[in-house]
Amino acid sequence: MSEKKLGEHIITVDNVSKTFTGGIQAVKNFSTKIRRSEVLVIMGPSGSGKSTLLRCLNGLEEPDSGTIIIDGIPLDDDKRHRLEIRKEVGMVFQQFNLFPHLTALENVNLAQIRVRKKSKKEATEMSMDMLTKVGIAEKAHCYPAQLSGGQQQRVAIARALAMMPKVMLFDEPTSALDPEMINEVLDVMKNLAREGMTMVVVTHEMGFAREVSDWVIFMDDGQIVETGTVEHFFKNPREERTKLFLSQIL
Amino acid sequence: MEVREKVKPKYSFFKNFILFQPPWRDIIQFLLLAGFFGWLIYLSSTRLEYKWQWYRIPKYVFQIKDGHLVAGRLIQGLLFTFKISGVSLIFTFIFGLGTALLRLSGSFTGRLLSRLYLELIRNTPLLVQIYLIYFVLGPIIGLDRYMSAVLALSLFEGAYSSEIFRAGIVSIHKGQWEAAYSLGLSGFDMYRDIILPQATRRILPPLTSQVITLIKDSALVSLVALSDLTLEAKILASDTFLTFEIWFTAAAIYLVVTVTLSTIVSLMEKRFQIRT
Repeated sequence: MSEKKLGEHIITVDNVSKTFTGGIQAVKNFSTKIRRSEVLVIMGPSGSGKSTLLRCLNGLEEPDSGTIIIDGIPLDDDKRHRLEIRKEVGMVFQQFNLFPHLTALENVNLAQIRVRKKSKKEATEMSMDMLTKVGIAEKAHCYPAQLSGGQQQRVAIARALAMMPKVMLFDEPTSALDPEMINEVLDVMKNLAREGMTMVVVTHEMGFAREVSDWVIFMDDGQIVETGTVEHFFKNPREERTKLFLSQIL
Repeated sequence: MEVREKVKPKYSFFKNFILFQPPWRDIIQFLLLAGFFGWLIYLSSTRLEYKWQWYRIPKYVFQIKDGHLVAGRLIQGLLFTFKISGVSLIFTFIFGLGTALLRLSGSFTGRLLSRLYLELIRNTPLLVQIYLIYFVLGPIIGLDRYMSAVLALSLFEGAYSSEIFRAGIVSIHKGQWEAAYSLGLSGFDMYRDIILPQATRRILPPLTSQVITLIKDSALVSLVALSDLTLEAKILASDTFLTFEIWFTAAAIYLVVTVTLSTIVSLMEKRFQIRT
């Protein structure tokens, strides 16, 4: 991790707020900046707004106010900007969200063919590379239902990677997995981090955070409570809320 | 924890009697039912003093002319029923899917228009619509008898099937939309590659019902003098006075067609099941 070079800011979040219908304010005046090749881990109790924030970053949620700029492109009402950001930002979901009627390979191929306009042959080549990378090439012709949770999540990661994204977002990628499958997914993510992928990861996996994260945001009630390196959080968290939360998950 | 004692079933003569256990139970039930209906038919025909002449029916189904098997009038009618149902089916799916997509679209006008169409068509009788289109709309926009009937049928069934399509589309899990969105797929690709292939498999059973309904409803086109199975039956019945035999035969032909159809679809369902 030490030899990794951090680049210029690739994600700028400025004063973003999001209130859901019903009046629950999920994100309150949130601002942060993320550099290229940085791995940011966001933690916080459930309902703290961390997933909502992450989903705002690729337009799955619409912020009520504030600006988000990704790699120089503002996430605004312009459809071309939104499409560009959707292409450049990969997303991995808690529930994998693989397409159940397509094989693993077809899942990874689809967007390359439709969005990147590749030929099927080119796409398959890339897909097999990505499936090999996540260690699941031998399951390329299996349907999602024939795969374990950990395997499905790795296919989902390969699917996002095949689009050659500049940023990868992970929304609690291991929360829906059986304990024995968590590591196979985390290992893939760790390798990705070491290769210099810019990653924003919502997770409670402290081991992952410790090994590869550059810094951590602790969120509660839609706001940043505390930021710092993992060591800071382990050794001397400042805020009471942080201490309480860490004592519960460690 | 309190453990409830198992209750021993009481010995019952009736429950243990051989004829009250499967398969005898089912066979007896079936025979009783069949006997009951047979008795009803026998009763109605004797009361009417009806003289059954089934031997006169086969030539209206199939005939042998010069050593060749030729379709009788009822089968010719059936072929027309197939034709008009088939063409209407294509338009039914177009109207149905189009309306469902419009109702789910972001366009206010689109949603209003599709809602208007749905309520207007769903809440008036098909017969009235056939007459309106044939007698009023047809002459205005120059539709012939056949096209009027196709339009009326497909507008009517399209309205119902739009609700089936819509239900299928909204039943697809939110995560599927989000995954497709995150990959940068366009709305068209999303529907074509992700949503509709999954929705279609789910709506196959109600859609089959709708197709069967369409085939049966196509009988109404006989009212604008299109010679489908029903009109042929009507003409034959009044020509030959074989009222019972003709109508029973026509009903049986409809039944064979629709039951065959639903059997094929349920086989298809098993084959295309999504592994979940």
